[in-house]
Amino acid sequence: MSKAYLSQNWYRVAGLKPRLRRHAKLYRTRYRGQLWYVLQDRTSGRFHRFSPSSHRLISMLDGTRTVQDIWDTFCEQYDDETLTQDEVIRLLGQLHAADVLLGDIPPDIGELAERGESQRNRKFLMSFMNPLAVRLPVFDPDDFVSATMPLARPLISWIGGLIWLAVVGYGGFLALSHWSELTQNVVDRVLTAENLGLLLLSYICVKAVHEMGHAYVVKRWGGEVHEIGVMFLVFMPVPYVDASDSMRFQSKWQRALVGGAGILVEAFLAAVAMMVWLNAEDGLVRAFAFNVMLIGGVSTLLFNGNPLLKFDGYYVLSDLIEIPNLAQRSKTHFTYLVKRYAFGMRELDSPATAPGEPAWFVFYAVASFIYRLFITFAIVLFVSNQFFFLGIVLAIWALVLMFGWPLMKQAWFLLTSPALRHHRGRAFAVTGGTIASIAALLFAVPLPHATIAEGVVWVPGDRILHSEADGIVTELSVVPGAQIESGTAVVLLDDPLISARVKLLDGFIEELRRRLAAQDFVDRSAARVLQEELRAAQADRALTLARLDDLVVRAADPGQLIVPQGEDIVGRFVRKGDVIGYVTDFRDPLIRVIVPERHSDLVRSETRTLELRFASDPNRVLPARIVREVPGMSAELPSMALSTEGGGRIALDPSVSGPGGERQALANLLHLDVRLAPDTPFRSLGERVYVRFDHGEEPAALQLYRSVRQIFLNQFDI
Amino acid sequence: MLDFGPSADPANQAAPRGGLSSSPPLVLYPEREEARHHWLDPAEGVARYLVGRISGPFFKLRLRRLLSQTLKRAGPVAALSDAALDARLEDARRRARCDGLSDATLAESFALIREISRRTLGLYHHKVQLLGALAMARGAVAEMATGEGKTLTSTLTAGAAGLAGIPVHIVTVNDYLAERDAETMRPLYDRLGLSVGVLIHGLQPEARRAVYGCDIVYASNKEIAFDYLRDRVKLDGAPRNLSLKLRRYFDPGAKNDAPVMRGLPFAIVDEADSVLIDEARTPLILSRETDATAERVWAETAHRLADTLHEPRDYVVHPRDRRVELTKKGKLSLEEQGTRTGGIWTNRIRREQAVQQALTARLMFHEGDHYVIDDGKVVIVDEYSGRIMEERSWNDGMHQLVEVKEGVEVTPRKEVLARITYQRFFRRYGRLAGMTGTAREVSAELSSVYRLNVVAIPTNTPAQRRRLGVRVFPTAERRWSAVAARANALRETGRPVLIGTRSVAASEQASAALSALDVPHELLNAKLHKQEAQIIADAGLAGHVTVATNMAGRGVDIGLDPDVAARGGLHVILTERHDSKRIDRQLEGRAARRGEPGSSEVMLSLEDAILTQTSAGRGALARLARLPWPVGPVAAGRLFRRAQRRAEAGHARARRTLLDQDRRLGTMLAFSGRPE
Repeated sequence: MSKAYLSQNWYRVAGLKPRLRRHAKLYRTRYRGQLWYVLQDRTSGRFHRFSPSSHRLISMLDGTRTVQDIWDTFCEQYDDETLTQDEVIRLLGQLHAADVLLGDIPPDIGELAERGESQRNRKFLMSFMNPLAVRLPVFDPDDFVSATMPLARPLISWIGGLIWLAVVGYGGFLALSHWSELTQNVVDRVLTAENLGLLLLSYICVKAVHEMGHAYVVKRWGGEVHEIGVMFLVFMPVPYVDASDSMRFQSKWQRALVGGAGILVEAFLAAVAMMVWLNAEDGLVRAFAFNVMLIGGVSTLLFNGNPLLKFDGYYVLSDLIEIPNLAQRSKTHFTYLVKRYAFGMRELDSPATAPGEPAWFVFYAVASFIYRLFITFAIVLFVSNQFFFLGIVLAIWALVLMFGWPLMKQAWFLLTSPALRHHRGRAFAVTGGTIASIAALLFAVPLPHATIAEGVVWVPGDRILHSEADGIVTELSVVPGAQIESGTAVVLLDDPLISARVKLLDGFIEELRRRLAAQDFVDRSAARVLQEELRAAQADRALTLARLDDLVVRAADPGQLIVPQGEDIVGRFVRKGDVIGYVTDFRDPLIRVIVPERHSDLVRSETRTLELRFASDPNRVLPARIVREVPGMSAELPSMALSTEGGGRIALDPSVSGPGGERQALANLLHLDVRLAPDTPFRSLGERVYVRFDHGEEPAALQLYRSVRQIFLNQFDI
Repeated sequence: MLDFGPSADPANQAAPRGGLSSSPPLVLYPEREEARHHWLDPAEGVARYLVGRISGPFFKLRLRRLLSQTLKRAGPVAALSDAALDARLEDARRRARCDGLSDATLAESFALIREISRRTLGLYHHKVQLLGALAMARGAVAEMATGEGKTLTSTLTAGAAGLAGIPVHIVTVNDYLAERDAETMRPLYDRLGLSVGVLIHGLQPEARRAVYGCDIVYASNKEIAFDYLRDRVKLDGAPRNLSLKLRRYFDPGAKNDAPVMRGLPFAIVDEADSVLIDEARTPLILSRETDATAERVWAETAHRLADTLHEPRDYVVHPRDRRVELTKKGKLSLEEQGTRTGGIWTNRIRREQAVQQALTARLMFHEGDHYVIDDGKVVIVDEYSGRIMEERSWNDGMHQLVEVKEGVEVTPRKEVLARITYQRFFRRYGRLAGMTGTAREVSAELSSVYRLNVVAIPTNTPAQRRRLGVRVFPTAERRWSAVAARANALRETGRPVLIGTRSVAASEQASAALSALDVPHELLNAKLHKQEAQIIADAGLAGHVTVATNMAGRGVDIGLDPDVAARGGLHVILTERHDSKRIDRQLEGRAARRGEPGSSEVMLSLEDAILTQTSAGRGALARLARLPWPVGPVAAGRLFRRAQRRAEAGHARARRTLLDQDRRLGTMLAFSGRPE
């Protein structure tokens, strides 16, 4: 590759005699098999990575040679690795920005002050931009760490490693063997008011030990720790420690250990806490141990140990794969890919400096973006469940930061960047095309839109076998499950009062007859009275006989007899109107479907077709139609099979109890009666069914809009 | 720094006429410290612009109050005898020294200068001129319609500042205007006791120092900025008051080492939009010339080495990137020859760089496309505009290699010593003011870049310019003949005609068309600038036809014959649209000045350069413009408006990029201690 060696701006630096300031130190490091020099600036704690040829040039900056001399020497000595004049200027600028360059002319105090201010401003702006991660330095722990180092030093060794392995291994084993005890309604146990205080306390303790872990490991290999402070992660104070000094460690394992120290310490604490938890009596100590385990486990898994977020795990990963500044560079690489291939800016060079890096960059850029999206939305959802408005504010904030701000920057870049000259047309086309296709996907491409609801197989009223009278079941004349004809006597009831009353009435009628015979010729008016009484008694008898007949329950239609209580019904007392059983032919089921209130409007107004599946046979899809809509909504569930207790999806209202109240749902429900095609057989009564109300096809954006509107309407109680 | 201003020294009060020279100023080489870039700058810019726009009427109200104070003094001052006037002037001078440019001193100074102008020059400032001068004294750009007498207006501000002991630079667009203005106004300044200096090209440093020692300096923007740049190089960075004073104390005789200028106290920029906006597109580069013979040897050697290489064995050509790449074999053979040649040719990088450039010069630079040979010189052609860029050269030896390739005389290489943008330069003035006929289009940029507000000044008498509309011809050929016919017709009615062209070539075409019709005419362009003054002086005579490039557009005052005004005054024909509407307006402004009658018309062709250069000439609109009436003229109007807008936007973008780059480079190279 031929480069332009000369630069237009060379005259501005050619005569300078710069040198490095004394506090600047260069460390030799290998990254992915390549030699690099890391320059540490002790005053600002920043690091800069230089290639060997840059390093050679830097080492020639001794304050006696001019830049022109140095470059001339350089050209003569190093054929292939010469830096161009532009590169030299950039290098000097970089050194200057790192505050390590000292010129032969007095430094520009104004510029220095301004740079300091702009750095402060940037820091401030950063904390504003990301209020979920504000940093507050508290003190310089270096002396403390040095003083207490002898205590910690023996632990950072092979022996310490073995102890750690033993303890954590045992703790892990214990945790596995008591897994169910540990995980039993964790949320309920953790989120009680008295535990929250304890949780906070243990959190701070664990994190403090965690940070000291980092600090001691840095110290172990001669590094320095100059800043410890508090960071506010999602308004939650988290201690942090500035361990950037580890950058100068030669071995990547040492660097990785610094990053991983926190996780190791937490795992150790969690293991110890596991043992305490198992052996301690119920009480404060046990609760504390539980919290320590929870923090050590969950926070490590989701946040700290996860390399996709910029916490400990990230640093460990970037140390191990030897790509410093992985997150930033993968972003740069990603933009490079877009510019190079999508915008056709062929003159750009890849920011990757070693083989293998591009793959990491692409993987990391995509994976971390998705994970961050996921975590952010999880947090937003969690917060908005508790505090709706705060959640909405957070969501808007997150949207702006994750999409709005980058998009604005991209738009600004597209419109104004001079680098895009000659490529702007294509860049616009690509961007516009992407936006258009996303918009098309969202707004134009119709997607299936449906509501899924649950229901139960219900029996039509005429198929229900009711008891016609009060009485004790004496006999089940047909075996439950058997086929019966219409009119078959199914159940015999016994009401001793009725048969007694028949006898009583028989006697009474006999008495009246005899008295009538006696009076008939004596007193005609008295006989009239007796005649009337007799007629009344006879009517009474007929009625009572009919009641007696009602004690035999007969099937109205032919079909199979279903008695939910089975043979157990014999000997029970039933009231008039009680359900004894069902006679069904297992055809033409009536299905009662319940739809939660928030979907009711959609289901009522926009349902095109219905599809139904039985819980027992989910692969069979049956067409269905709505036959009746129960006017008015009620919270009452038709069957317990639909409640969460019965395996359904409707949560019951625990505050309503007592007869009838046990089937009260939390929200109002729409009840629909649905029928299948005539003669559709079904397997059992009371079975749960899944009904899909198809609303035709609708673009994703409209569907999204509808559900968001629903959420808002719910929240604002409109 | 303790800066009590010039008034702190009681000795100043007794200073004789002639100003500052007797007592040393407190601050040597004063200039405004550059504002650091701040991330809130854009917001501040917007706020300042809005406040400027909103408070405009109030500002004018303030100026009007000042104006009435000035006018109130006119009567008593006019009644004074010459001696009494002098006494009053001395009094005013003393007060101005103490108070600076306060409202009271301004009113008094203006009244006196106005009266003295009437007595010495016979010119009495109008109210609007007073208003414009007041606006400038308050650091604004006065937008005064063309022909309102800006030169006279500036005497008020410059004179008042001079009386207050503030050195004034009156910046013009070219030497001719500087000289003309200075000579016209000299009697007035003499009477005020202020010395006047004119800088013209070619003056020696010693003479320049003397000019800058004057109270009022007339100079073109180029001269003044280059002097400043040379001073900066001499001072090796920013002027430091203490070291300057020590140097003057210990080494009072070292005149050659001392800076030429006295600093950047107050600039009044004539044609502010041209100087501050249009010229600001290219930075000024101060360069040192290297030894031409050495360059020739170098370039010839490079070509000789390049001769020995053959494609594709030794090098590969990438026509798309306009780049030549040496292969391994080529490098090896070069190494062999380089060691044989010796000297710098043993250095691989220099050798390969030179040969590569030589090959590029041969294979990638073509006569006609990239350069032309004009008068034994290689002249660069701008690839985008196709315009000839005189006085420009490629850097890093490329120019010399092309010269050797073409066998013309090798010129020395230009080594950059310092570089400054006009934006940066004018922002360093302690006070900055401007006047122009056309500023409102660029008021936002003036505000954001120079922190200047634009104040529109009404005209003294209503303008009597008639605009006769726009005609568009399909070809340049037909346009020129129409222009010639039109000019001839007007000439025969006894009116003078000014034909404005965009380039030297166009002016020659116009001249040829006129000659074809046997129309006597004068030609004024960059090639013939010697007779400029005479041509302009004659341009207002009855029946005179003058063809001029837009160098005659600004500041040029064409005096009319007495009887010409009765016949309708000067007629201006614009033959092309310029890159900016302001330039067109300036050219139109040559007619109907000072309330005289006059007219202007525009004759364009669909082959005009602005259409091809801005790529507005392609597309549907351009095809529509060729249709007959009524579609054609409407479309053509839109087409030219669009082209002009694009050209303006392109220039604005170039200026913004330049400013941005300048700032970024300044930040990156802050350690070098020299922002130029």
